[in-house]
Amino acid sequence: MRRFFAIILCKLMRLVGKLLGRGSSLPGQFALKVCPDVLGRVKLPPYVIAVTGSNGKTSTVEMIAAILKAAGKNVVYNAEGSNQIEGVTTLILSQCDLSGQVRGDVLLLESDERYARHTFHWFHPTHFVITNLYRDQLTRNGHPQWVYEAILPAIHPSTTLVLNADDPLVACFAHQGNPVKWFGLEAWPGATKEHHGMYDDGAFCPACGGKMEYSLYHYNHIGHYRCTQCGHHRPHPDFAVTELDLEAGKLVLDGDTPIQLAFRSIYNVYNILAAWSACRMIGVDKHTAAGVINNYILKNGRMVRFTLGQHKGTLLTSKHENSVAYDTNLRYIRDTHTPCTVLVVVDAISRKYFTGETSWLWDIDFDLLSAPHVQRVVLSGRYVHDLALRFECSAVDPDKVVLSAGISQAVEFLERSGDEDLYVVTCFSDRDKVLDRVELEEN
Amino acid sequence: MKIQFVHLCPQRMSLYGEYANLVILRRMLEEMGHEVEVVAGESPDLSKANLIYMGCGTERGQKFALQVLRPQVEGLKAALDRGAVVLFTGNAMEVLGQSITDTQGKVWQGLGLAEFTTIETRQRNPHDVIANTPPGQSPVVGFMNKCSLTAGVTTPLFESLEMGFGNDCQRGPEGYVKGNLMATHLTGPVLVKNPALAHRVLRMVLTNAGAQVPDTLPVLPHQQEAFEVTLRELRSKGENAG
Repeated sequence: MRRFFAIILCKLMRLVGKLLGRGSSLPGQFALKVCPDVLGRVKLPPYVIAVTGSNGKTSTVEMIAAILKAAGKNVVYNAEGSNQIEGVTTLILSQCDLSGQVRGDVLLLESDERYARHTFHWFHPTHFVITNLYRDQLTRNGHPQWVYEAILPAIHPSTTLVLNADDPLVACFAHQGNPVKWFGLEAWPGATKEHHGMYDDGAFCPACGGKMEYSLYHYNHIGHYRCTQCGHHRPHPDFAVTELDLEAGKLVLDGDTPIQLAFRSIYNVYNILAAWSACRMIGVDKHTAAGVINNYILKNGRMVRFTLGQHKGTLLTSKHENSVAYDTNLRYIRDTHTPCTVLVVVDAISRKYFTGETSWLWDIDFDLLSAPHVQRVVLSGRYVHDLALRFECSAVDPDKVVLSAGISQAVEFLERSGDEDLYVVTCFSDRDKVLDRVELEEN
Repeated sequence: MKIQFVHLCPQRMSLYGEYANLVILRRMLEEMGHEVEVVAGESPDLSKANLIYMGCGTERGQKFALQVLRPQVEGLKAALDRGAVVLFTGNAMEVLGQSITDTQGKVWQGLGLAEFTTIETRQRNPHDVIANTPPGQSPVVGFMNKCSLTAGVTTPLFESLEMGFGNDCQRGPEGYVKGNLMATHLTGPVLVKNPALAHRVLRMVLTNAGAQVPDTLPVLPHQQEAFEVTLRELRSKGENAG
C-alpha cells in the first residue's frame, strides 16, 4: 500500500513540478519518505544499465539511449541528469504503472559516482559501465581512490561490469570477481610513449603501489600499462577502437565498423566506445549502432558555436576542478593549428556549492597554449589573479596574456579586436556569462 | 647563492597541485638572485638540502611514503639539526608524528619527529580554511581535505581557525611547528595563495643557507591580489559553512 501511495505521490508531484518547471529530485525525495524501500518493491525491465565515472556519464547515457531507441527498444532514462537516489526514484516511479511495473525494455541510469551505493542498495544494474576515474571535484570527492572505494559497495556480485581497460584504477573493479567486459583503445598515431601533463596518476599501481610501466599513453594516465610488481595490466578489450585518426575524424570499431566523428575529441572516442560496448552486449546489431554513432552530434551543449564581432567562436565546456577535462580541450585547441585567441574564465568554481579552492589550476597543463597559433590568451572572472599567477608560471609568453576581471568587459574587448578563431574554455557554472553576450549559431 | 630544495615523493604525494609550493619559492629566490636546485625523489640525499618538502597524498600513498621515509629518519633529523627547513603539508603532516591508526585499526608507526598521533576516520572533511595568525600578521587561506584527527599537538602552526577543521576539532588549533619543522593539514599550493606564509618559510630557508634576509621579500605578480580575493570570498560566502 505504501508503494502505491509513493507511486501516486511521485507521479502527481512530477506532473505539478513539470507545470511549474521545477527540478526532478523533489518527487522522489517525498516518495522515499512515504516508502523508503520503494525501489526494492518495483518490477524493473529485463535490462538495467548504469553509467558512472568522473567524465562522460551524461554523453554516454545519451548515446546509449539514442542507439537503443534506433534498435526499437523502449528506453527509460534520466535525460535530465538527476543522478542521485532522489532523481532516480522520480524517474523510476513516474515510469511505473500502479502495480509497480516499470514500463520499457531498458532502464538506463546515469549514476553519481559517490552516491551510487545508495541508489543500488535496493536494486542493482544488470550492466554497470564505469568510464574513468580522474581528479574531479576534489573539494567534494577527496581523491580518485576515495571515489573508487565509494563505488565498491554499489557493485552487486551478479552485475556485469563494463569497464574501461585503459584506466588502471577502473580496471581494479574487476578484482571483485564480477563478470567483466572490457573496452579499450588500441594503438593510434596520437598515442605517446611519454606521459604528458602536470601530474601522473598512473605512475604507481592502484592495486599494489608498485611502479607502473606504460607501453603507450592515450592521454593523461589513460593508456596501456603494466605494474612491474604485481602484474596488474591493461586487459585485452572485448570491444575496441582498433583504428583512430583523430585529425581526419575517423575510427574503426572492432576491426570492421568505420565511424565518422562529428566531434574530434578523445573523450568522444571513449564515449562512443562505452556506448557501443553496452549496446552490443544487450544484443543491438553493429549496423544499427553504427548508424546512430556515425556523425553523432551531442545535444548536451558542451560544445557551442557562436559569433562575436569578427570572431568565429567555439565554447568548449571544461569542468572546473577537473584538470583532465581542461587538458583535453586545451589539446584540442593546440591541434587546430589555426590562428586563435583563447578566453579562460574562472568566476564561480561550482554552480552547486561554494568554494574558493583553486589548486586544480596547477594540475592543468596550460603550457599547451604556448603553441604559436595561439595569438592571445584572455583571462577573466573573479579568480583572474589565480589564473594570471598560474600563467605566470607557465610556458605561455606573458606578452600574449591579457587580463580582464569583468567577463562582460572581456567579451566587449574581444568583440572590438581581431578576427581570428575564438575558443572559450570554462565550466557550466560560468559559460552563460559569456554565451549571453554572443550570437549563438543555430543548430 | 645556491639553494637546494628536496621534494620528497613528488608523484605519490602531490594530489592537489602541491608541487606549485616549490615553484613559487623558487621563483621568489631567483628574483632575489639566488640559484635554486630542486632534487626530487623517494629517497634522495638530504645532506645538502635547505628545504625538505612533502605534499599531500591518498591515504594509501601516505603509507607508502611513510615506508619509504622510515629509513631516512636519521637524515631528516640531521637536516633539522643543521637548520634545514622541513615542511610537510596535507596528510604528509601525519607521518611526522608518533603513529597513524588507519580505519582498519592498524597502527602505523610514524617517523617520530613530533609528539602527536593521528587517527584516520571514514568521514572526509573537505573544507575551505581561514587560519588565524598573531595580530599584525596576515591570516592564511586555503583548503583542507582530511579524514583524520590529530591529537597531542602542543605547538600548533595556527592557534585557531576562523573557518575549517583544526587538528582535532572545528576551528581548533591547526598544524605543527617546532623550530624549523613546520607542518599543516592545508592542502595544495598553500604558499602560492599566501605570500606571507611563503615569506616565513623563505626567511628560514635563507637563514639556513647563510644568505642575507632582506626586510622586503619578493611577491610574485598577482599573488597578493589572489590571496585578497580568496579571503574576501571566503568571508562573504563561506561563513555559513565555517
